[in-house]
Amino acid sequence: MKSLKNHISLIIPLFAILFAVEFYFIIDKIIAEYEANLSKDYSIIVVSQKPLTLVELKAVEPDIVAIKEVSSELILQRLKQNGVEVDYKELKNFLPHFYKVYLGSFPSASTLKHIKKVLQSVAGVTRVETFTKVHEKIYHFLIFLKNISKFFLAIIFVTSIMLVFKQIEIWNLEHSERMYIMALFGAPLWMRNAILIKLSIIDTIISTLLVYAIYSYLLSTKYLKELLGFENITIDSHDLLKDAVWLFLLGILISVVNVLIVSWRQPKIV
Amino acid sequence: MPKEKNVIIAKDLCLEYKKDVPIIKDSTFTIKSGSFVFITGPSGSGKSTLLKSFYGELKPKSGILQIGGVSLNDIKSSKLAFLRKYLGIIFQDYKLIKEWTVEKNVMLPLLIAGYSKNVCEAQTKRLLKHVRLSGKEHYYPLELSGGEQQRVAMARALAHNPVIILADEPTGNLDEYSSRVIWGLLEGANEQLGTTVVVVTHSIPTNLKVPFKHFYIENGTVYEIS
Repeated sequence: MKSLKNHISLIIPLFAILFAVEFYFIIDKIIAEYEANLSKDYSIIVVSQKPLTLVELKAVEPDIVAIKEVSSELILQRLKQNGVEVDYKELKNFLPHFYKVYLGSFPSASTLKHIKKVLQSVAGVTRVETFTKVHEKIYHFLIFLKNISKFFLAIIFVTSIMLVFKQIEIWNLEHSERMYIMALFGAPLWMRNAILIKLSIIDTIISTLLVYAIYSYLLSTKYLKELLGFENITIDSHDLLKDAVWLFLLGILISVVNVLIVSWRQPKIV
Repeated sequence: MPKEKNVIIAKDLCLEYKKDVPIIKDSTFTIKSGSFVFITGPSGSGKSTLLKSFYGELKPKSGILQIGGVSLNDIKSSKLAFLRKYLGIIFQDYKLIKEWTVEKNVMLPLLIAGYSKNVCEAQTKRLLKHVRLSGKEHYYPLELSGGEQQRVAMARALAHNPVIILADEPTGNLDEYSSRVIWGLLEGANEQLGTTVVVVTHSIPTNLKVPFKHFYIENGTVYEIS
């Protein structure tokens, strides 16, 4: 019973850390996928007096992946629909070229400003429309989400590390006699601390499995599937499994570093 | 550990726990390799303190202390751990690991020395037979009597064929039978293996067969009596 209580005392903070880290991983993935989806839909409109090619634009901005000319018929049709009375045949000859420019990634507000400036410098380009306001709203929301998850992760990380440290200190105290006897017979530091490292590994495995199981369950629920599916975002079990390996390694690192700090802080067994 | 004629050398040795309260002061003595030595003295005279300094638990305040040619004055943890692999230590309160079986306790120095499992098991079996505890391999220390626990501690101290055995009141709490076994084992190690044996005790056993040296501590000074 006492042993179970001891294990739970380490499992809870480790679980909290790993849960928060996995939450951050997932938020990061969702944002990355959302950005990728946005960049697919997002385009810059470029108006030019002369025809433009992808090679020409790529030379000034490597992130441009595609350009698509907007048919002048489409523009004339819109004018007709709005009831503008002009000589459409004549107008067609004077219309500049309209292009939709697609980017490889979702740009930040500053990158967008830079791209706009660069495109404006291309010979023949008379106007560049980046839809900055709409873009900035979305972009700032994503940054906000990322920062919130980072903040959440930092708070949980710091408080949980303190709990892990305290628990390992308790274990160190419980096993101090054994460690002292081992030291008397010349056991090196790693051998003396083997019991603490063994306990930490067991608890890290349990915590990692718990986190994996909970996230697997949550992401398989109808509600979350629908919510993410609405934005064409998917997180498959393979991703979670890969994360679990990282979480396990992180858990081991935290435990081992804490064990070493605790043993270094102890009065030296000389 | 290098083979030295004098396995323990103390020169103007001072030991203290509290500043300016010396337990051992300005003591000079040597212990020859392969000798059997008793350290006696009244209670609180510093016998156990002196023994502690031999296994590096207490560093000399001043003077020189060498074990097997290794100075213990400013010894680093890693070097001390190395030195201790050549020592076998026996305590009055046994200092066995309660959570481990008798077998694992005896194996401890062998595990530290890095012997294979087979060697550890064979050596442990042999030693437990030697201390007359065959069949108790899987018992835990608290399931044994005091005498049996001390014999386990004795087996552990002998497991790795140490160069020096340091024993602090090894028979202090023991029945006559266990005391006889312990003295017999210490004599055997000294006589047959040439192990240096240093024993802190209140009284020297009368029926000892091996020649021995006697150091007496009084008022913090170590005197060589015989």
